[in-house]
Amino acid sequence: MQLFSLKLVSVVGETVIMEDIAKEGIKLGATGYTMTEVNGHGSRSARNVASTTGARTMKVEFVVPADVAKAILTHVSHEYFEHYAIIAWLSDVEVMRGEQYTKHG
Amino acid sequence: MPFATIVAPCLWAAASGDQVSRIIQSLEKNLLTPIPLCFLLGIICTRIHGGIKIPKELYYSIAIFLLMSIGFMGGHELAHEYQAHGVSTIWKPALVTLFLGCVTPITSFVVLRYIGRMSIADAAGIAAHYGSTSAVTYAVANAFVEQSGHPANSFLPTLVTILECPGIAIALLIGAALSAKERARRAAESGKPARESKLGEALYEVITGQSIMLMAGLLVIGFVATIFMDPKGFQPFYDFFQSKGMLFRGSLCIFLLEMGLVAGEKLGDLVKVGPFLVAFGILMPLIHGFLGVYLGHLAGLNLGGCTVFGAIVSSASYIAAPPAVRLTLPEANPTLSITAALAITFPFNIAFGIPIYFEMAKWVGAQ
Repeated sequence: MQLFSLKLVSVVGETVIMEDIAKEGIKLGATGYTMTEVNGHGSRSARNVASTTGARTMKVEFVVPADVAKAILTHVSHEYFEHYAIIAWLSDVEVMRGEQYTKHG
Repeated sequence: MPFATIVAPCLWAAASGDQVSRIIQSLEKNLLTPIPLCFLLGIICTRIHGGIKIPKELYYSIAIFLLMSIGFMGGHELAHEYQAHGVSTIWKPALVTLFLGCVTPITSFVVLRYIGRMSIADAAGIAAHYGSTSAVTYAVANAFVEQSGHPANSFLPTLVTILECPGIAIALLIGAALSAKERARRAAESGKPARESKLGEALYEVITGQSIMLMAGLLVIGFVATIFMDPKGFQPFYDFFQSKGMLFRGSLCIFLLEMGLVAGEKLGDLVKVGPFLVAFGILMPLIHGFLGVYLGHLAGLNLGGCTVFGAIVSSASYIAAPPAVRLTLPEANPTLSITAALAITFPFNIAFGIPIYFEMAKWVGAQ
């Protein structure tokens, strides 16, 4: 079994912007993402407004190469950190079928 | 009660002793009915840390049913009105609705910005909420006028649908346009390009959002089905959505209970928003409500119709507007707008506003 070293980009923030972040991640080189409804509290929680399904906070995760991870984090920090309730972090992961996570061409 | 200490002096200033006692009678008649009492129960429950919890899925399912019912019955009644009178009774109220949908966000913005001295983003964000409408306020106002024996004109749901969008769009346009210079200046200072405007995306989300899609969609479906279906085949659909008022009013009680729980949580934020916004959340609906009642009367609405129309013009959106404002004006503080809409204006309208608009409608001569 061969494992590949990649980066896991995790972004937790207001529901209103998470769909956009997911699409922007794809444009920046991610081949997919996972989105989950989460709950919690932070210094800017009061800014979260509910979507029509009631979800206030979502988490989106990308498994990507290091250069794409950097691009996503840079984009998120520039576009959203100033005014939205949002956090993002990077962790190392080892995945199977590493070719699934890299865009070709 | 804080509302009484603000509302009573305004009533005395504007009305005679006779009118005030009629208003108070209407207030009593309204407050002692299940719908506002369920709302009050929700508020009390949060304040005493009570154990009522409405499952989220139930709440959103009821919202879907209420919106579909309003739309479907609205379309059905609109079809009858059209068959009987063509567009002659509808076009004036529709035009007045569009007019008020454009005016109310502007009046709200002007008051918030130049009297309240709020920032452009905050003023525009709150104005977007007050320029739109609350379908639940419509439902409660409609229940009130039916209980009082003065049902509203049948095409009111059409007016609710018309009122949903333009206010949000206009307020966001004002906010985006006025704050564009400020954004460009900050971008030049920081050396980073200015954040891309998401106004188009936000407006698209409002127009294609659940409220509009369900109400307008079911309006068309109800209209078409009434015109083209055989009455026997149509009856089961009518029975479900109308259900002699039972399903609708019962669901509204559960919905208002949840709204009370949410509003109760927000009461703590009243301290943060300040006295100006508390006064705005009560006085602006009264002004808009009176405009709605008066212009509705001029456009030919009956007593119940003027009351409900006043209620919907005075109400503030708290479902469609907040995400649109977050996308377009992220600098706007949502605590201000949502607290004003949910913790001040909505409870005011449910408890006091609707009966006041009813008396206003009588005063202007609606019958």
